[in-house]
Amino acid sequence: MPTSRFHSAMNVLAVVLPSLASVPAMGQIGNPGGLDPATSESAPGTPAPGQTNATDKLFVKLVGMGNAGEVDLGKLAEANGSHAGVKAFARRMAQDHSATATKLSAAAKPAGIPVPTAPGPDQKATRASLEGLQGAAFDAVYLQAQLIEHQKTVQLLEWEIGSGQEASLQRLAMETLPVVLDHLAMVQALIAETRGTVPQGLAGAQLAERMTRP
Amino acid sequence: MHLLKHIARLAAVPAAVVAVNVGAADPLPPDTTYRPLPTQPFSDVKRMDEAQKPKVMQRQSALLGQRYDLANRPVPGVMMSGGRKAVQGGVRVRLREGTTWDRLAAMSPQEIRDRGLLPDGFKPLPHVKHATGGQVFPQNQIDEINRLEQRDLRRFDVDLDLPDHLTPEFPPPIFLTTHTELGDVSRGQLLSIRNYYELMTGLITPVQMEGLRLLLTPFPQEEFNQTEDRKVAAPSLGVACLDCHANFHTNAAFHLTPDVRPQAARFRLDTTSLRGLFNQQIHGSKRSLRSVEDFTEFEQRTAYFNGDHVSATRKGANLPDRTNQVAMMAQMQNIIDFPPAPKLDWRGRLDPTKGTAQELAGERVFFGKGRCSECHVAQTSFLDNNMHDLKLERFYRVGETANDMVALPDGPIKTFTLRGIKDSPPYLHDGRLLTLADTVEFFNLVLGLKLTAQEKEALTAYLMVL
Repeated sequence: MPTSRFHSAMNVLAVVLPSLASVPAMGQIGNPGGLDPATSESAPGTPAPGQTNATDKLFVKLVGMGNAGEVDLGKLAEANGSHAGVKAFARRMAQDHSATATKLSAAAKPAGIPVPTAPGPDQKATRASLEGLQGAAFDAVYLQAQLIEHQKTVQLLEWEIGSGQEASLQRLAMETLPVVLDHLAMVQALIAETRGTVPQGLAGAQLAERMTRP
Repeated sequence: MHLLKHIARLAAVPAAVVAVNVGAADPLPPDTTYRPLPTQPFSDVKRMDEAQKPKVMQRQSALLGQRYDLANRPVPGVMMSGGRKAVQGGVRVRLREGTTWDRLAAMSPQEIRDRGLLPDGFKPLPHVKHATGGQVFPQNQIDEINRLEQRDLRRFDVDLDLPDHLTPEFPPPIFLTTHTELGDVSRGQLLSIRNYYELMTGLITPVQMEGLRLLLTPFPQEEFNQTEDRKVAAPSLGVACLDCHANFHTNAAFHLTPDVRPQAARFRLDTTSLRGLFNQQIHGSKRSLRSVEDFTEFEQRTAYFNGDHVSATRKGANLPDRTNQVAMMAQMQNIIDFPPAPKLDWRGRLDPTKGTAQELAGERVFFGKGRCSECHVAQTSFLDNNMHDLKLERFYRVGETANDMVALPDGPIKTFTLRGIKDSPPYLHDGRLLTLADTVEFFNLVLGLKLTAQEKEALTAYLMVL
């Protein structure tokens, strides 16, 4: 069973997740120095919808592969994981990343950017290292891979917010970032719990707060 | 399952298994760390930047107006040290609807976070155009450097976003540790490469003079240079150290931290005053460089080029000679004194015969319930020469984007001095707090102090005499 600490982390997330309404409707106002030179403008200085740069394209590719991998690994971990918290987290990953994959397809479609539907080399390598593992050994490798994957995804989303061009993709990045940070905090909480160490990163900040305040 | 049982089971997992994935991973794209080369001709960039500018300024103005009361409301009778500008008063950060400062202070950080009640003005402040970033100068500095040097510090993509009355007096007075009897030696002028010699001959030594010359000499900077990547209309000689640290103080010019990537995660930096640098043991809000020589030398890669030495090499790196130039620049900076604080004794304590009852009450809060003195140690110029993490992220949901900046934990930031603090608004490393009353409310909440209204007012009054 998950301990009360993990429940606490999940409860915090349940409270804060619906608060996405404050995300601004527009994309960023970027540095035109980094626009694709062929960009057409809907108004002077404003890229027309569907006009992308190299950041947008690579972002869609990497995040698309990541989503596919998360869904695949989530299903695997729900079946093969042993810790109840890990299995619940894996189910959540399959659900959330499947939902994000749908949103990513919708956002990338007007721009004509192909969205990968299969996991990439990173996710395939993770799957290969999980093959044949059971129990706590499976959990440990899955969580470590999830930690790295979410740490990298946070940076990727921030990169798109700062350097992308297509407003719908940037909006998606802005909406998704707090959720991915929540996922990261959940992985950190689970790693702490299963390794018997203190939680790191955001999980540390959130749980320390819960433990020290009534 | 019981936690201990887990640990026992996990002990059987070899560490090598857990590390398997790390080696197989692709790295993140290179321009998450490095500045990409520009993709468009200068004329196109300039045209688009100029077209975007009204929207950029309007968006930032809306954010500031939503976060703060920007009114011109000076504290009666309190001027900055040169007597050129009044100190602004009152709490300017706007509360969320339906709450009060006292009610907020009574809540736990978690409740404030879960209910989204942290005032936005307490959150990290975005750059006026975060996706581009870079140095932004106030109009008074732009005008004066243009008049003195015919050098253009105006960017075509952005202007400074703060109203003039919320920034330091200009030009700021200059106080020398080597001539305390003279008081302000600026003669009401802004130091520049054109006038420094006539203003300072007879007051400083030859090595200090040479240091001053170098601190006033423009060198290429990320937005001010000759390439198509610049944000100034004509190819530019660059900027000088004292373009931001005007008269060795600050003119509220701002920048983004050179120490964080990617761009959206970089926090804003409000220019720090160089007054009292002689007693400061660590330099740079994040880098904790251990000498002013190290800092002066390396700013050519950081303040000038955002911590990207690759970009610096393309646009023109200045490599000051350590013994012949850096040391002299440091020696000049090390004779810049704090403004006078006649009510303080040599230990930085209020003279009870000079302080008012309210100021003395404020000092008691500062050293007692307010816990300010735990980091701002009076005897060492209100510094502890350490960095501390206030963990503000306990109070808000991390990862939300405001004007293209992602709000993330600030992490450890160095303690700044409080000597002469009324002269250097805005406050905190990014300038997110506009008045000293704002900083009192900020620390009341973050440190969980539960100060009364009377104690807050006394503390604010005390800060004005430091």
